[in-house]
Amino acid sequence: MKPRKDLLTIGSLSTEDINTILDSATAMKDIFTKSVKKVPALKGKSVLTLFYEPSTRTRSSFEVAAHRLSADVTTFTVSTSSVVKGESVHDTIDTLMSMKMDYIIVRHKHSGIPAVIARHCKAAVINAGDGAHAHPSQAFLDAFTIREKYGTVAGKRVVIIGDILHSRVARSTSCILRRLGAEVAYMGPGPLVPLQQHSGIPRFTNWDQIFDWKPDVIYLLRVQNERMDTPFFPAGDYHQAFGVTEERLARIDDLNLSIMHPGPVNRGVEICDAAMDYRNTLINDQVENGIAARMSILYHLTPQTQQHD
Amino acid sequence: MTNTYIRNAIWAPTGETCDVKIGPGLSSRFDSLGGLTTCDAEVHPAGVLTIPSEAHCTDATGKIVMPALFDLHAKVEVPGRSKRESVSRTGQAAVQGGVWGMLVMPTRGFMFDNYATLDSFHDAVAQRSAAEMIPAGTISMGTEGRQQAPYNTLAARGVSILTDGDNVPDNLLMLHRAMKYAAELNLTFAIRGDVPMLSANTYMHPGTTSYALGLHGTPACAEEIGIEILLRLARDAGARLHIQTVSTARGVESIRRAKAEGQSVTAEVALHHLLYTHENVGDYDTTFKVVPPLREQSDCDALLAGIKDGTIDCIVTDHTPCTPFDKKQDFVSAPQGATALDTFLPALYTHLVKPGKLSWAELVRACCTAPLTIANPRDDESDEAAGIPLLLFDPEPEFEVTADSLVCGTLNNPQIGTTLCGQVSLPL
Repeated sequence: MKPRKDLLTIGSLSTEDINTILDSATAMKDIFTKSVKKVPALKGKSVLTLFYEPSTRTRSSFEVAAHRLSADVTTFTVSTSSVVKGESVHDTIDTLMSMKMDYIIVRHKHSGIPAVIARHCKAAVINAGDGAHAHPSQAFLDAFTIREKYGTVAGKRVVIIGDILHSRVARSTSCILRRLGAEVAYMGPGPLVPLQQHSGIPRFTNWDQIFDWKPDVIYLLRVQNERMDTPFFPAGDYHQAFGVTEERLARIDDLNLSIMHPGPVNRGVEICDAAMDYRNTLINDQVENGIAARMSILYHLTPQTQQHD
Repeated sequence: MTNTYIRNAIWAPTGETCDVKIGPGLSSRFDSLGGLTTCDAEVHPAGVLTIPSEAHCTDATGKIVMPALFDLHAKVEVPGRSKRESVSRTGQAAVQGGVWGMLVMPTRGFMFDNYATLDSFHDAVAQRSAAEMIPAGTISMGTEGRQQAPYNTLAARGVSILTDGDNVPDNLLMLHRAMKYAAELNLTFAIRGDVPMLSANTYMHPGTTSYALGLHGTPACAEEIGIEILLRLARDAGARLHIQTVSTARGVESIRRAKAEGQSVTAEVALHHLLYTHENVGDYDTTFKVVPPLREQSDCDALLAGIKDGTIDCIVTDHTPCTPFDKKQDFVSAPQGATALDTFLPALYTHLVKPGKLSWAELVRACCTAPLTIANPRDDESDEAAGIPLLLFDPEPEFEVTADSLVCGTLNNPQIGTTLCGQVSLPL
């Protein structure tokens, strides 16, 4: 893999790069079984998590990943009020550059912010989710989880169900899965599945069509109410129309399909309680694999701050 | 003072070869310019003029003589600069781009909703500007869409066009009443077609690019419905309407239909909507963040067709200076707007006239006579309107547009980094 400074989108990577990072993630996951779950790969390096949006899983996953690589981790708390007051991201960048950070992991509600930071910063920038644009580390952990479950991603069929419009996960995960040879389909309420989606992704409108398509993985998305200033669909309809109900779970079980979800889960909306305990629900595997995938991503990036070592 | 002469130039409105006599007080009146007159110059068919042997005479073979351009949609305020410097720099930029006059939109620093601001603006223009600047009064106080501005006061200070600039009034009752009131004052309402509820929190045209970038799209129907609303309100109120910065094919169609029905409506398109599509946004290039957003190639084609058949009256710059710092922000946070005055005529020539998409006569109509007529609606022919200065345009020289070559003081001109053709000499 050629040295690269940032990870902003899946689209910016070659298929070879993607496979390299996935292969290394397998090696990283082996470390989890050791009594000392730490390697010195990033010893002496400083990692900053810069989250302008609330996050539990992604942030802690990156922090655990960085710790397991022996990096020093700093959490930069950005008060949302200062953003509201018009704080410029450039002023933040100046501050960060003064801190001589090697890696910056950034999440922001605006699409494109990580790219702005990456352009003006020597640190390696990892996009941990920007608006509805991209979430590449989630894409890696999803691909890794499917590969781990089935031995390969190629030829698998994954249907992504829910709020496609607002979902950076849908964009990045569909991108990586298709690059690795999987087929992807979308389903969701009409206003939340934009017609301008990438060509070649079929769009279904009901579960019968999904089952007819014979998917391997049901990938559920959370309805992102916080991004909907005006309702996109009748509030009471979602679970019955698009969620994994107990009846649908029985069918999913019969067909031996897997269920994935990037979290956090809204029980009773996109997924019923029973589905959380279903034998092929991979949600907890995704969380564990997220650490391995993020360790691999950190390992493969080369900050410009290192070039003078 | 002795007169000077130009020989064998091409007179853009007709394409004929002409000779020009230049001197104070000279003028010619042309039906091809909508009855407007030239200022400090006479234009004659080649060979008619007797040029004294001792006179200074320039051979302009291959060059174009034309009336200088008038831009019906420009913002003068340069963020971060004083009002006087804003006026000065924008005037210089206009002259560089072949523009001798412009209608100035109200902005935060130039809020033309009272006589004091208008007076101080007129003073600043008189002292500082190399170009004519005509302020457009506001429709509502502070362009906030609630209370009508004092139209009588504004009209008494020479205002003939009312607009809330980038803001589109969403209180239709206020707007309807404003139109009814102002119709009797012979004022024109200049508004962009939009339904703010549909375009709120959107950043570009919805399409493959917006989806890939994760940006919410501004539906074309917001403009199309907005134009229909404006047309019906103005028709009911008996008001003269000018629709600003049309960007959609269906918008053009609505205007075409209204004109066919005899409604008193005019319309404009911004140059960037003729030249670029939503795909130019590429990887979050904020230079191409404009309102309304850049749309599909089919829209560009329909807009150009609208110019050619007269449905769209004018091509404007929609010149909107933004600081480099502001435009360096992420796409959502960065302000909308692009500048175009500095490069207006060379860009029009390079992208539209040279490839044969637009004739010189169509350019003169869309960028000079039509906007002037809209900005200065004259009720009687005897009105002594000031003449239009002429410019000389040499289409041959090529130049690369660089940040240093722009005088307006900002860098959000989409032409930066491109090569344009043409050198403007204004005034002659």
